[in-house]
Amino acid sequence: METVKSTEVTLTPEEKKRVRKKSWKESFTAYLVISPWLLGFFGLVIGPMIYSFYLSFTNYNMLTAPVWTGLSNYVKLFTNDPRFIQALKATFTFVVIAVPLKLAFSLFLALIFNAGKKGSGLFTTIYYIPSIIGGSVAIAVVWRQLFGRNGAVNSMLDSLGLSTISFFGEPNAAMSILVLLVVWQFGAPMIIFLAGLRQIPKDLYEAASVDGAGRIKQFFKITIPMLTPIIFFNLIMEMIGGFMTFTQAFLVTGGGPRDATLFYAVYLYEVAFEFLNMGYASAMAWVLLVIIGFFTLIIFKTSSLWVHYDSDGGK
Amino acid sequence: MKKRWGILFTVTSLSIIIAGCTPGGPAGGSGDTEGDQTVIRVSWWGSDERHNMTTEAIALFEEKNPDIRVEPEYTGFDSYWERLTTQAAGSNLPEVVQMDTSKLEQYISSDLVLDLNSLIEDGTINLEDVDDVYQEMNIKDGGTFAISSGANAFSTLYNEALFEKYDLKLEPGYTYDDLYEAMDKVSQGEGDGAWGFDFVKAEYEAFTHFARQFDQHFYNEDGTLGFENETLVNFLEMEKNMIDNGVSTPHDVTVEINDSGESMIANREAAMAVGASNGVIGIQPMSEDPIGVNVLPVAEGATSPGDWIRPSMSWSISANSDKQEAAAKFVDFMTNDIEGNEILMAERGVPISSKVREHLLDQVDESVAKTFEFLEVVGERAGESEPLPPPGEAEVRASFNRVLEAVKYGDMTPEEGVETFRSEAEQILG
Repeated sequence: METVKSTEVTLTPEEKKRVRKKSWKESFTAYLVISPWLLGFFGLVIGPMIYSFYLSFTNYNMLTAPVWTGLSNYVKLFTNDPRFIQALKATFTFVVIAVPLKLAFSLFLALIFNAGKKGSGLFTTIYYIPSIIGGSVAIAVVWRQLFGRNGAVNSMLDSLGLSTISFFGEPNAAMSILVLLVVWQFGAPMIIFLAGLRQIPKDLYEAASVDGAGRIKQFFKITIPMLTPIIFFNLIMEMIGGFMTFTQAFLVTGGGPRDATLFYAVYLYEVAFEFLNMGYASAMAWVLLVIIGFFTLIIFKTSSLWVHYDSDGGK
Repeated sequence: MKKRWGILFTVTSLSIIIAGCTPGGPAGGSGDTEGDQTVIRVSWWGSDERHNMTTEAIALFEEKNPDIRVEPEYTGFDSYWERLTTQAAGSNLPEVVQMDTSKLEQYISSDLVLDLNSLIEDGTINLEDVDDVYQEMNIKDGGTFAISSGANAFSTLYNEALFEKYDLKLEPGYTYDDLYEAMDKVSQGEGDGAWGFDFVKAEYEAFTHFARQFDQHFYNEDGTLGFENETLVNFLEMEKNMIDNGVSTPHDVTVEINDSGESMIANREAAMAVGASNGVIGIQPMSEDPIGVNVLPVAEGATSPGDWIRPSMSWSISANSDKQEAAAKFVDFMTNDIEGNEILMAERGVPISSKVREHLLDQVDESVAKTFEFLEVVGERAGESEPLPPPGEAEVRASFNRVLEAVKYGDMTPEEGVETFRSEAEQILG
């Protein structure tokens, strides 16, 4: 970003003061107008965050006052909690598999809708529905039924002469159905991809086809590079969402079998609300914040290598 | 300038109004009397059926005690505890709290529930018709911290039609070997998709009962583990043996059926299951066959039947309330009032007052009557009650169930499982 150089104006101290006063007056009014939101933000977001940071250094079961224990929650987390390690493993496995799949799938659908002419608006809406209802109890129940012992999927496998799978008894199978459920909620990234695709100038493709580039080549040489800012955005959002996945795992598998789908947020909930270790859960929450921050930072740092903005001069 | 103060005034007054509307704000506090009425809050968890019965009983209580008004608060079981701990954290517990035995110790040690001894002695809460076995679990170091709202016992539930079909007889005193033999018959006879015995994910309780037969407990009075490793190894080996030979349901089937709220004995997928005796009331409507209640088997080398009577749930009174008298009247009403209990219909478990029991026996459904009769049987066999589980019980139970899963799936031998569990549990219990 380059700042526009304005012609320098020299002000007397008197005038400077007046300007400053005026701007303070203006901003006061602005702050006054947004004060309801500010109250909420400090009272319901910043306040509880600071409190949870304090709690992460205490032992607190909600029934008695917090007891200061220093770093012991964090020490226990990293040295003496195999379930925490298991939760990290499960969460990473899930993010590494589900996020790329979801992005690829939503991009694929966006391409189809982008090519479609009539009525694609209606289909876009229909395809968006799973994302709206996907996190609900009803869908979790449907999933349990579908993949149950006598569910539709196993009946199908059975009729094809294949052996049935115990989806809720086998760790890998349980992970797969959660990945499937989350990938099925592709609506949000799909819509964003669609918007991105519509931004790409048509004449680029025309020029490319004149030069004899085929569909595939056009996709890799034009579509993908032009979409990289959108991919970047979706990747960040989906990764953050992936690390925080809770509802699906909590409702469908309950973290089982044998902790195979004990996602970070599920374990955190268990520690907080089933075992009432609020201090320990607060420490976990802050560690999760650091983990997500770290990965977001890495993606941001590497973005200069693969994300192309128009302002790059069409590199 | 004037305008700006106008805005400021509007904003502040708005926020004051909004703050005033929130629950727990100035308007929602407790500790108020309306006119000459004392207002008490009563909270419980349960099903819609329970909510309807309880609100009806509350109306009768208010009729009989015009100076007291009851504000009910009720939810499902899981959200109930989240809500209650939040209320406890804000020193805003309801006057009367429906309490679960597994949580009671935590509430006692946090000084949140009242010792009711003085209220019992002066007759505000009348326990004259209550046998000691019904209340034993709610007593800690001489203090009475809850009144049982209904009793049950850990038992086996069985499908009577299947028992008849295979001509099975398991009279009280039968052994685990007898059980194996009988269940094997059903499993062989019914073929695919059916088994004999279902552990219903209740191994934690089943093992508690098993250990009691050797005069051991899951927890000691002081909150440490109260059983020997060998006892748990034997139990796990016995269960694993039943599963591996198809006598008992495979673990994933058990988990799935139970998570979906069905019952295998109602579906004829199993002939017998462990469960609380009042489970028969919930399972009977789901089953075309009559469901019976029986005691658990006797283990080899057992020294006692292992049975005990326990509260399904209890009433506690908040220690910080200034309306304990009114709260105690309510608890007394729920315990002893004949008309009130005609409405409540023993839905919370077998009434602890013998007068109420006798009165209700010929009014209740057949399945409820079965629980009355069963508790008479257990009452004669019952040993001393199980000590209250210590705080951290939820975590220990979770650890137990994880180890159990690992053993069932063959990731660990029973010995390894017990070692792992003991070290985890001891770390949790400190």
